[in-house]
Amino acid sequence: MSSGTKLVRGRVAVGLSAVVPGIGQISLGKLQRGLLVLAATFSMAGIYIWQIAEIGRRADGFWPTIARAVERRPGFVIFVAVALVSVWVLNIADTSRIAANMQSNGRGGRPILFVVMIATFFVIGWQVSEIDLGRAISELPDALPPLSRVLWPWRAAIDHDEERVSAFQEFAIVPRDLVGVPQIGIDVPIPETARRGDGEPYLGASPTVGVLSIQDPETYELVAGSRFIANGFGFESGKQLDLWWEDEVGNQFRLRKDGEFVAIIPDQSGSFEIELTMPYPNLTPDMRDGFVTHRLEARQVYLGAPKASEALTLSVSRMVETIIMGMMATIFGIILSVPVSFLAARNIMSGSALTMTIYYLTRTVLNIIRSIEPLIWALIAVVWIGLGPFAGVIALTVHSVAALGKLYSEAIEGIDRGPIEAIQATGANRIQTIIYAVLPQMISPFISFSIYRWDINVRMSTVIGLVGGGGIGFILVQYIRLLDYRSAGIAVWFIAITVALLDYVSSEIRNKLA
Amino acid sequence: MLEVRNLTKIYADGTRALTDVSFTVKPREFLIVIGLSGSGKSTLLRCINRLVEPTEGEVVVNGANTTTARPKELREIRRTIGMVFQQFNVVKRLNVVTNVLAGRLGYSDRWRSLTGFSRDDRIAAESALARVGMGELSRKRASELSGGQQQRVGIARALAQKPSLILADEPVASLDPVLAHTILNYLEELNQNEGITILCSLHYLDLVQRYATRVIGLREGRLVFEGTAEEIRAISDAQFRQIYGEDAERIGAATVSEE
Repeated sequence: MSSGTKLVRGRVAVGLSAVVPGIGQISLGKLQRGLLVLAATFSMAGIYIWQIAEIGRRADGFWPTIARAVERRPGFVIFVAVALVSVWVLNIADTSRIAANMQSNGRGGRPILFVVMIATFFVIGWQVSEIDLGRAISELPDALPPLSRVLWPWRAAIDHDEERVSAFQEFAIVPRDLVGVPQIGIDVPIPETARRGDGEPYLGASPTVGVLSIQDPETYELVAGSRFIANGFGFESGKQLDLWWEDEVGNQFRLRKDGEFVAIIPDQSGSFEIELTMPYPNLTPDMRDGFVTHRLEARQVYLGAPKASEALTLSVSRMVETIIMGMMATIFGIILSVPVSFLAARNIMSGSALTMTIYYLTRTVLNIIRSIEPLIWALIAVVWIGLGPFAGVIALTVHSVAALGKLYSEAIEGIDRGPIEAIQATGANRIQTIIYAVLPQMISPFISFSIYRWDINVRMSTVIGLVGGGGIGFILVQYIRLLDYRSAGIAVWFIAITVALLDYVSSEIRNKLA
Repeated sequence: MLEVRNLTKIYADGTRALTDVSFTVKPREFLIVIGLSGSGKSTLLRCINRLVEPTEGEVVVNGANTTTARPKELREIRRTIGMVFQQFNVVKRLNVVTNVLAGRLGYSDRWRSLTGFSRDDRIAAESALARVGMGELSRKRASELSGGQQQRVGIARALAQKPSLILADEPVASLDPVLAHTILNYLEELNQNEGITILCSLHYLDLVQRYATRVIGLREGRLVFEGTAEEIRAISDAQFRQIYGEDAERIGAATVSEE
C-alpha cells in the first residue's frame, strides 16, 4: 500500500470515528480496541440517558426532564456530559494517531482515552449504585447501639432464675349487701412459731372476712372496701417485699395503697405490719356470685443462680446441627461423587466415542449444577421437603456432588502412570497395583478435597438457614427480625468461631497431606 | 538368558516403534542400548516384560516365552525381572521401605499383600535398601528424597525382587553427571558381584563407553549397531552417524545429548 492511499484510509477512519466511536479503529485493523471503544461509549451514553430520565422523572416533556435532572444532580449531569464529549474527542484523536503511526508501523493510539473512559464509568457507577458517603456517616450513630450489641452480645448469654420467698393469707369475700363492711377490731392471731421467727415466713391478717372496694354504679363514687391489718414474720430483713392480691379465678395484681404500689421493707426481725384496704375486683360484679375466697401473698423475689440463656443454648445446639448438616452433606456428596468422578475423568473415558460422549455429558451437567448457588438449591429443597435441616442437607449435597465430582475427576486425571507401570513390572496383580500405585496417589487429594468441602459446606449451611434450610442461620434470621440483636450476636459469634476454627483445621490437615 | 526374536511393535495410532529387532543377551552381560529419543529404546525394554504388548516376534527370558505367557505366568516371569525407570517411578506418598517392599508383591500371596508383608519380605527389603546405602532413610516418605535417592530406592525395589535381569530405562537421564556415575556404579556392582544381567538404555556416549560390556544401537526402531565394549570405545564418526542420523555431531569429546 502506498503512503498516499494510507493517508486517505486514515482520514476516512478519522471521519468514521467521528460518526460512530470505535468504527475508525476497526477500519484500521484494530478490531479489539475498536470494539472496546464502541461498546464502552454506547453503554456509557445509554446509561447516562437512562439516569437522566430517572433523576428528572415527574417532569413533563424532554427539556423539563433535563432541566430537572440538572437541578437535582448538577455535578453528575454536567461531569458526565463533559466526559462523554472528551471520550468522543479522544476517540477521534486515538484514531488519527493510529492512522499516523500506520506509516511508521508503530502501535499508536492514545491511552488517555481509556483512562477517561474508566473515570467516566466510575462516576456513572457512583450515581447508579446510589453511593452516598454522607449518609453512611450520618446514619452511623443510630446503627451503633444494635451493632455494639451484635459485637459484644454476651450479656444475653446468661439468665437468672427467679426465686421467691412468699407466704399467703386467705380472705373470705362476702357480698356487700349481706353483712355490711367488717372493720378492724380483732387482733391478728399469730402462731407462736411464726412469732419466734423460726421456720417458714408467715403472713397473717385481721379481719380475714370482708368486702371489696367498689365504684357505686349510680353515683360513680368510690366506696372503700374492708380495711385490715396484715402482719408478716420470718421474712428477710431489709429486702423489699411486694404484696399481691389474687382473686377467685387466679388473677394476680399488686396491691396499692394511696395510689402507690405497696413496697415493704421488713424490719430487723424480718417482720412487718401494715394497714390496707381490700382492692377493687378485676371482675365485674355480676360475674361474681356469693362467697368467694381471695388470697393475699407477701413475696420477696431473689435472682437465682446464673444459667445459660435460651439464646446461648439454642445457638450451641443449632451450631452443632449446622456442623452435622455440613458433615452429612459432605458424606453424601463423597458417596455420590466418587462414581461420577470416574465418568468425568478424561483419561478413564478416552476409550471410545461413546465414553467420550458420557464424559462431556457428565462434565456439562456437573458444571451446570455447580454454577447454581447452594442458596438457590436450598430454596428448591425447602419447597420440596419443607423447612428444616434435611432441606439444607439436600441443597448442600447437590452442590457438593458437582464440586467434588469435578475435583476428584481432576485428581484421577492427575494420576502418574509411571508408578503404576513400575508396580506392574514387579509382577504385581491388578488388586496389588491398585493398592500400591493407584490408591496412594488418590488418597491425599481425595481427603484434602473432602475436608475442604466439609469446611465449605459448614460455612454455606449457615447461609442456607436464612432461607429455611435449618441450622444456625435459621435462628439468626429470626433474632434479627425480632430486633433481638444480642441473641443474633451470639449466633454470629458462634458462626465466626466455628468457621475460623474449621478453616484453620482444614488448612492444617491439607498442608500435612500436601 | 534373554532372546529377542523379530520383535515388531506398531502402536494403535500407527506409530512404528520397533521393526524386526533380534538380539541375544548372555548371562552376566551389561548390555547398553543406545539411540536417539524416539528410536524405540523404551518400547524395546517394555516389550521384554510386556508392559507394552509386542505386535510381532517373541521374547524368551530364561527359557520362558513372555509373549505367549498367560497372566499368571507373565507375573511369575516379571517378578524375576527388575525394572528401573528414568522418572524413578517410586510411589511418592509411600515411605521408602514400602516402596521397596512393593518389589516383593510378585512373590506374596494374592490376599496376604492386602494386610502386610511377611518377615522374609521385610528382611529382603531392608537388605536391598542397605545395599544401595539407604538403610537409614527407610522410614522417610519417598517424596522427601532427592532425585538420586529416589533412583536408589528404585534400584532397591528391583533388587528386592531377587532378579536375574534388570531392565534400566534411561536410569540416569534425570540426574546430574556425578549422580549418574553413582547410580551406574550400583548397577555395575550388582552386575559383577551378584551376576545380575543388566539391559540398560543410555544417552551419554561416555557413560556407554565406561560401563558397557556390549552395545546395541537402535535407529528408527531398527537394530543398526551391535558391538563389544572395545568396539564402542573405538567408534568412528561414520558408525556414530549410522546410529544417530546424518545430522548428528559429536558434542564435546564423546557425549551425545538430545538433538
